[in-house]
Order: sequence, then structure tokens, then C-alpha cells
Amino acid sequence: MTDAGATTVAEGTLTGGGASPSSSPSKALRSPWTALIAAAVLLVAVYPVLSDDLYYQNMIILSMVFAIGAVGLNIITGYAGYISLGQGAFLGLGAYTVGICVNDIGGSPWVWVPVAGLLAGAVAAVLGVVAMRARGHSFVILTIAFLFLVQLLATNWDELTNGTGGITLPIPTWSAEYQYWPFYYVLMGLLAVSLLVSWWIRRNKFGMGLIAIREDEDKAATVGVTTPTYKILAFVASAVFVGMAGGVYGYYISFIDPLGMFNILLSVQIILSLLLGGRATLWGPVLGAFMIEWLNETSNNEFGGGNARLLIFGGLLALVVLFLPGGIIPTASHWIERWRGRGKAGLAGERLSGIDLRERTAAPPPAPAVSGTPLLEVKDLEMRFGGVRAVDGASLTVPEGSITALIGPNGSGKTTIFNLIGGTMTPDAGEVWFDGRRIDGKPPWRRAHLGLGRTFQITRLFGEMTVLENVVAPLREFHLGLLGANAVSGPEARRAEELLEFVGMRKYRDVRASALSYGQQKLVELAQILMLDPKLIMLDEPAGGINPTLIERIGEMIRELNSRGKTFLIVEHNMPFVLGLCNPVLVLARGQTIASGTPDEVQRDPHVLDAYLGEDFRLEQPVGA
Amino acid sequence: MTEFLQALILGLLIGGVYALLAAGLTLIFGVMNVINIAHGAFLILAAFITWSLWREIGMDPLLAIVAVTPLMFAFGWLLYNLTIRPIRRAPPAASVLLTFGLALFLEGIMGVIWGNTSHSVRPSYADERFQIGELFLPKAQVFGGLVAIVVLASLYLVLTRSWLGRAIRASAVNPQGAELVGVNVASVAALTFAIGVASSGAGGAIASVLYPFLPGSHYQWIARLLGIIVLGGMGSLPGAVIGALCLGVAELMTVTYIGPEWATGVPYVFVFIVLLLRPQGILGTRLRQDVATA
Repeated sequence: MTDAGATTVAEGTLTGGGASPSSSPSKALRSPWTALIAAAVLLVAVYPVLSDDLYYQNMIILSMVFAIGAVGLNIITGYAGYISLGQGAFLGLGAYTVGICVNDIGGSPWVWVPVAGLLAGAVAAVLGVVAMRARGHSFVILTIAFLFLVQLLATNWDELTNGTGGITLPIPTWSAEYQYWPFYYVLMGLLAVSLLVSWWIRRNKFGMGLIAIREDEDKAATVGVTTPTYKILAFVASAVFVGMAGGVYGYYISFIDPLGMFNILLSVQIILSLLLGGRATLWGPVLGAFMIEWLNETSNNEFGGGNARLLIFGGLLALVVLFLPGGIIPTASHWIERWRGRGKAGLAGERLSGIDLRERTAAPPPAPAVSGTPLLEVKDLEMRFGGVRAVDGASLTVPEGSITALIGPNGSGKTTIFNLIGGTMTPDAGEVWFDGRRIDGKPPWRRAHLGLGRTFQITRLFGEMTVLENVVAPLREFHLGLLGANAVSGPEARRAEELLEFVGMRKYRDVRASALSYGQQKLVELAQILMLDPKLIMLDEPAGGINPTLIERIGEMIRELNSRGKTFLIVEHNMPFVLGLCNPVLVLARGQTIASGTPDEVQRDPHVLDAYLGEDFRLEQPVGA
Repeated sequence: MTEFLQALILGLLIGGVYALLAAGLTLIFGVMNVINIAHGAFLILAAFITWSLWREIGMDPLLAIVAVTPLMFAFGWLLYNLTIRPIRRAPPAASVLLTFGLALFLEGIMGVIWGNTSHSVRPSYADERFQIGELFLPKAQVFGGLVAIVVLASLYLVLTRSWLGRAIRASAVNPQGAELVGVNVASVAALTFAIGVASSGAGGAIASVLYPFLPGSHYQWIARLLGIIVLGGMGSLPGAVIGALCLGVAELMTVTYIGPEWATGVPYVFVFIVLLLRPQGILGTRLRQDVATA
């Protein structure tokens, strides 16, 4: 992930400032880019009025059709990271909807264009349901199968589609004086709307969730991102405007047949536009579409189309993947940023434990009142991997308001228990109760919404997102209003900044997460799950692999959060840290809990000494005691 | 009943050929986590080479396997080192797009060399058939199916009985572990890709006798093969065989009882049903996620 990241580092600068709204390079960059884009938009807008050259008008119309396709594809492929090779099918579906409705029901084709969009969206939703459990490769295969299946249906369902004979649409009725203007400006409007939607998504919590899915889908689920719903919504959003554009496209070329409309080369052209221009950028797909359509015309006119088109498209696709994986816009802005940033020291090299970390360490907060009621209860949990019983009838209880530790030798099943509680794995047997509800069997995001937050042993931040975006991405509860909430400014972003302030990482808000050190990543991951406002915070080795000062600081933060009512369950090997901080301490060995009690009781327990601590274990001075 | 039995036997014979072709695809996926979208184009290329050998020097298409397979092996090895090796560490999406690009490029090249018209290889026995009771079995299908099973069996022996086979399987299960015990995972990957392409060479030579083909046929073939490995469980060799036999029979049943024009739709329906009901396929396995994604 880290190597690939280099090329897309500056993508935020061209997504309408979505990624890094206040970082200085993006502000400096924005003005020339904005001027350039405004000039290009203006030129396209007035072109038909200035020139009556139908060749170029036709080319711009087709470019806009593919641009709408690529902007749509960008939502599912660029943001959410799911490659679709069947995007062209939505163009075909839209065209067929308009063609069939005009011929069978009547009316103007324009009337049916919105219907085409709705139908494409509905089909995408169905496809999204099928794809809900499909990851990466299966999804690609599904989109190929989908494209060929609709083509087969259009070919064989004679009564509806007239099969290979195709459908002819009525010839436009407006005066020839207006040339292709209506097509031209309707498509331009559609393109503008789809760009607005793309821009909006990139700035709201929904878009953050999509990018989180692209970066690490399992992790996204643990921070409350309802991944199936996100994916279905993204797929619908990526299809609606493409369906409408398909309707206009069908009317424009006035003849619709299965081979032309569901030709895989339409999909190729859309994908190529997106890749060449730049995935996950706002304008990349548009830039790419205009370039590729020009290439398409050239290959048809100069080289006779057919095989030449295949060689050019196929060769270009391979070349872009090999030599320009980031696409034009991200690569260009990366260069520009590097050129501008020469000689400036990066934030990433600064010392972490700065002043802002020490301010709040004045007095350790008083120990909280531990109530007797259990917040989390695990009963007879079992998990096997092949013949290995990783968790073998483990039971444990975390009292509300406590800082509970789970210790034990390597391979004793601690992380597996975390995964079973958090929902990234399903137990073979046993029960997990949280806050009075049985949660085993519930998906990870449900558990997150109920108030369960966890970190990972090896930090799993969303590497390509900035620190702020990482903290904004979690979803406390699922409702559509929150999905549309602004993630760049407004209450959600302010809340994220406060949490970053709390962990002392606010200065780094616009730094890419993969550029942080391991200890910094641990702090951001803590802020990230605090965004969920969890009742129970599960930390998997919070003190592992970081320096002593930071360990101390993390201990202080845990105490402070605990004093504000957060319950903790901590897996840790650092015994001074655990024994100074936690009570009760649970000991796990061979997949079972062998002891539990106060730190004093546990470190004298002969079973524990035998299984884990060793007979010569003696704790000199607990941290912070 | 005869009709059903005939469809069943022919379906299994065709399924044997599909199994050989899908084996290469699933092997490449299992070892490299690469969905080779160009697999269909490779097999059509092999079919065209077979056609030329048959047309120019009158070589029997099933005998041509001996020439086409090593040729495709070399082609696969070269292609791997030129195109796929550089993106070994890129996200998986990159390899899908790359092999898709290669498929289009190959389609264009084949169109330039052999033209975009339908070709078929017709050896002397093309119109003959065996009659067993009331069953009529075309000789080409019987020979083709049997040869495919022999090639597939030898591939299986290589994978299970040789050091190379163990190295390939070790690389598939745990690349880091394989590296630790002295397997050069990078060159094993190159060999695996080459073996996968070689098997599409053998399968393509057989397919050239069974179906007419043109450069654009590769889409239908890749859709079919993807349907098979999704059904069987991606990366599983026995799964690919089971999936292939299922698809062969399902296609023939569709031809017999629903209509030949719908037969191409069978693999797509397979993909939809499997992803809805059992996304990991028939023989797909559950992995320890913390290990798999760490």
C-alpha cells in the first residue's frame, strides 16, 4: 500500500479541496487549476454557438457520454476500490429503456430519460445485493457476467428488444438550425450534476466510508461502516446518471442493438478514461474521457477502427497500468507538489511527544467507581482453525467502568477472542453478551454502533486517507442524514479535531496516515475509535512496539477516558503497564481463562506463574503507581 | 431418456476440456492472486496456431498439442516476466486491468493475422461418430474429452508428485513460508503462470476441433472459465474440475431442453447464484483473517 501511495499523494488537491481543505499546497494549487478548469468548461459550453462544425460537436457529445460513465464508475472504482468491467451495460440499459418506452408507449424520448436513470439505479441495486458478500475479484467477475448476461437478454428476448434486429428511434423534430444542441446541452447538464454528486460524496461521511472500504474493508466494518449498504448505495450512485446518459446516447445515435450497446469496448473506454485521468479525483474521469474519445475517433478514422481500436485500447490499458498507475491528474499534482515543496521539512519527522502532549498530565484523574454490572460477558467461546483450538471454551467478564486486562502467552487466543468479540470472526460455539444484548452473530458494524470500539495489534489505519479523514470515517449509527454529513468541515470534522487534540495528533491532521510512525498510528487509531463514542474500548497491545514516553502517555489517556466513564479491555504483554493500570486482570492460556483477579492476586497465582509470567517474576515498580 | 443420457455424456466430455482450461486459470489465481482475464485470449491464440498447423502442414489438431503446449509455455513465461512481474506488489486490481488489456491487445493481433472471420479445424473424423445402442457420440468430442483428461491428469501428477508441484502449492498457501524453506517464490510464480498458459494451449488445441472460433470468441470463453472457478471455489484445482463438469452438463442440458441460444448464459447464471448463496464456491476455504490480511 505504501509504495502505491506515492503516486496518489496529492489527489485531494484536485477533488475540490475535499481531502486537505486547509493544507497550504492545496490552496496554492487551487487557483491555477480552477482557472484552467473554468476556461475549459466555458469553451465547451459556448463551442456549438461559435462553430457549426458537426464533427467536433459529435466528438464532444460522445466525450460527455463517456465522461458521465467514468464519473459514475469513479464512485464505485475510484472511491470504493471495486473494479467494474461492466459499467457500459448501464449505458446500454438506459438506451434500451428509452428505445423500448418510446416505441411501445410513445411520447418524446426526453420524457423517458429519467426513467432510464431510475431503471439503471434499480438494476444496480439488485446487482449490489448479489455483490454484497463478494470481495475484490469476485466482484470483477460479477460485473463481467452482468454485462454479458444483459447482452444475451437483449439478443434473445425478441418480443421486448427485437433481438439482433435492434430498435430504431424517431428522428429529432427540432429545426436543423439547432444541430445537435439539445443532446449537447442535456448531456452537459447531466455531466455537471454527476460531477456535483461526485464532489459531494468525496466530502461527506459516506465518501469517507467508501474510501475506508477501498483501503481496508474489514477494518472499516469494525468502525461502524455498514459495508454492504455503502457498497449498494455506491453502486446505485454510479449507475443512475450513466443510465440517463445512455438514454440520451441511444436517442442521439437513433439505433440500438445488442452488439453496439453492450459492446465491451464501451466499458473499456469508460475504464480507460477513469484510469488515464486519475482514479478518485473529481476531474480525472472527465479529462480521461475527452482524451480517450479523441483517440477513439482517430483510431476509427486514421486506422480503420476494428483491430486497430483493439490494439490501441488494449495496449493503452496495459501501458497505463504498468507505467501510469495513478493517472494523469494525481501524478501531475504529485510532481507539482514535490517541486513546490522542495527544501521544506515535513511534519512527519517531528518529535511526537511535544508540549501539547504534556499539558494535560498535571494530576492523574481519580480512579472511577467500578460498578458490579458486567458490560461484556463472554461465555464458553470456541474457535477452531483446522485442528487448532485457538479458543477453547473461554469465558470472561468485563465489569462496567473497569480497565480490564487480558494477558497470556503468545498463541493463547487473545487476539482471536478480540476478533470474536469485535465480529471480524464468527465463533464455532459460545455466546458474547454486550450491554445486555447478545451480539455474537451480529455484523461488526452493528457491534460498533452498540458501543464497541477496538484497535488492532498491528495498526490498521486507512493508509491513503489523511489523519483527519481517518478519524471522521467511523459511523456511530446508521441513518442517511449522517451519511450525507459534511466530513471536511462542520460538527463531524470539529469533533474529529477535538479527538485528535486529545491524543496530541492535531498537528498531523492533513498528513497521510501511511506516512505516520507506528506510535503515531496507534494514537490516531485510538482517536478513530473514540469517534464511535464507544462504551467499551478494546485495545490490542497498545504499548507494543512504541517508546516508553508514549507508553506512559497512553496509560494516562486510558485513565482519563476511564474517569469519563469508558470501560476498557486491554491485551498487553508489558507487565508493568498492565499491572499498574488494570483491575481486574484476566489470564488466558491454551484458549481458556485460567485465572482472574486483582493484579496482586494474579501475579501470585501459581498457575499464572507457571503458564505465563514465569517463577522468577517480580514486579519492581508498576508504571504510574 | 436417450436424449438425457446423450446430453449427460457429451456434457461430461466437454466438461473435461473445460476442466483443463479452468485448471490453468485457477492455478494462476491460487498462486499469484491474479485473475488472468487474458486466459480466454490465450486459448483462442492456441486454437489459431493449431488451425495454422492443420491447414499448412496437415497436422492432426489433437497431435498438435505436442507443439502448441510448449510454445504457449514459452509465451506465458515471457509474458509474465515482461508484464506481470513488474506489478507483483501492486494492488490486485492492477493485474485484472492489465490482463484485460492484454486480452484486447491479443484479440487485435489475432484479428490482424488471421482475420475476424469464424474458423474451425476439421480433421478427417470431424463428421464421424460412435454409435453405442441409441447414443450417437461425435468422435471429435470423445477424442477431445479423453485427451483433455489425460493432459489434466499429468498436470495433476506434476503438481502433487514433483518438487516443482510442491513448491507451487507451498507458494500458494504461504509465500513467506515457502521463501523461508528455500523456494524462490518469484520464479515459481513465473513457472506457474507459464504452466497455466501452457494448459490453455493444450485446451485451446482441443477446443479448436469442438467449436468454431474467431478472435472475439475469447470473451465467451473467459466468462465460461470464470463461471467455473467461481462455482468450484477460486484457487481450488479439484473445485475447478467439479465446476467444469457441472458447467459442461448444464450447458448441454440447456441446449437440449431450453434452446441453444441460451447456452452461453449458463456460466453467468452460475456466477450470480454462487455469489448469492455461497460466495466462496463449492470447495472454497475459510481463512484466518488476521493472518490473511496482516
